Amino acid sequence: MTQTTETPMVELKGVKKRFGDLEVLKGIDLRVDRGRIISIIGPSGSGKSTLLRSVNNLEVIDEGQILLDGVQVNRPDLKGLAFEKHINHIRQNMGMVFQHFNLFPHLSTLENVTLAPRKLKGVSASIARELGMELLERVGLADKAQVYPSALSGGQKQRVAIARALAMQPKVMLFDEATSALDPELVEEVNRVMKGLAEEHMTMLIVTHEMAFARDVSDWAMFMDGGVVVEANTPEHLFSHPDQERTQHFLRKHLGTQG
Amino acid sequence: MEFDFSPVIDYLPVLLQGVGVTLLIGVAVAVMSVVGGQIVAVITLYTRKMVNWPLRFFIWLFMTTPLLLQLYFLYFGIGEWILIPAIVVGVLGLGFHYMAYNADIFIATIKSVSSGQYEASRSLGFGHLATLFYVVLPQAFNRALPQLSNNMIIMVKDISVLSAIGIGEMVYVSQYAISVTFRPFEFYITITVIYYLINLMMEAGQTWIERRAAYRS
Repeated sequence: MTQTTETPMVELKGVKKRFGDLEVLKGIDLRVDRGRIISIIGPSGSGKSTLLRSVNNLEVIDEGQILLDGVQVNRPDLKGLAFEKHINHIRQNMGMVFQHFNLFPHLSTLENVTLAPRKLKGVSASIARELGMELLERVGLADKAQVYPSALSGGQKQRVAIARALAMQPKVMLFDEATSALDPELVEEVNRVMKGLAEEHMTMLIVTHEMAFARDVSDWAMFMDGGVVVEANTPEHLFSHPDQERTQHFLRKHLGTQG
Repeated sequence: MEFDFSPVIDYLPVLLQGVGVTLLIGVAVAVMSVVGGQIVAVITLYTRKMVNWPLRFFIWLFMTTPLLLQLYFLYFGIGEWILIPAIVVGVLGLGFHYMAYNADIFIATIKSVSSGQYEASRSLGFGHLATLFYVVLPQAFNRALPQLSNNMIIMVKDISVLSAIGIGEMVYVSQYAISVTFRPFEFYITITVIYYLINLMMEAGQTWIERRAAYRS
């Protein structure tokens, strides 16, 4: 992708991760510029989710560097409370959306969205409420503000989860198979919210199985397999004329056709 | 045999005082055992085995010995060196006893909160402790409620055991009234009804709390 002199929003340099003897990330390099949307596709076990989780330090990498807006995320030199303080601060700048939503069931929809700004940024209850309502409005769920997650559909839960992540005004949003656990008819409502974010030039890293969506929304697409980036290109190129045979094989299986 | 409830009417103020003592002890023990149970559970789960073994020993000790023995131990045993007022011994004894049981429940429900909840909280920027307070413990508490309220219902009945160390709760005051009036049946029937009513109220509260918690977990 076009390199600029500007500090990239997210940068990975030679990232390696092992689970025991299994090396799941074998030296990944990636540069995500401000406002760019990167989709990561690949078969199960290819390391794409691990990669995304590493950016948030939910997986601790063994080698390499991860930087957010020029600040190093993984800091092997920091231990204990010092690292805890560092990573908590870094994470406040990243929004993460999970496959299984992980909404807090003991809090109402609005409280789910306002918990972090209130407790972490010290935003007053009334301002947090305003912000929360604004975000719920944006994901089309203002009428569900007082409802508990148990009463929401999967698509609604995921939209609340997106609003919750946005409430911290993150610099980048990480989506880990955000629509994989949803019934097909609920995928579209979540995709629509994500497209809305794309139009607002939110920097996004999207791990997905939705090929059509990835092609439609992203600026850059990466195909991963076996812990390496097999191929990365513009979505038009990657999805229509993949250079690598592994990519072609994967897309044939997932799209039914290559184009 | 004829029933004559007039002595019960005469001793009603005494009985009601007993009811008051039972309820007060109940509230104190409930607060102590629920708050303490959570603290014990958190320390047991989040500190090294070397550090928390006294607590695990404490849970084991209180769960494997009879309540009456524990009370005698605290009151007459330790009383050889320091005289602790009976009411304090009663609340502490019953409190520790149920703290052990409640801790056991909290350990299970804290463990049952999914790793996804930790990850969601951590990914927002909450630290370990904040995650525990804002995300894990409230959910663990909601999930513990059915068993907790069962324990509390049993606990209220166990307050009667405190009569053995001379605390003026319901059974103790009725024993006293019976020793003066010689009308055991009437008094026993009366306090049975009172226990039943207290239980009925607690069960109603339990149903309300559980319905509310089920919706939020």
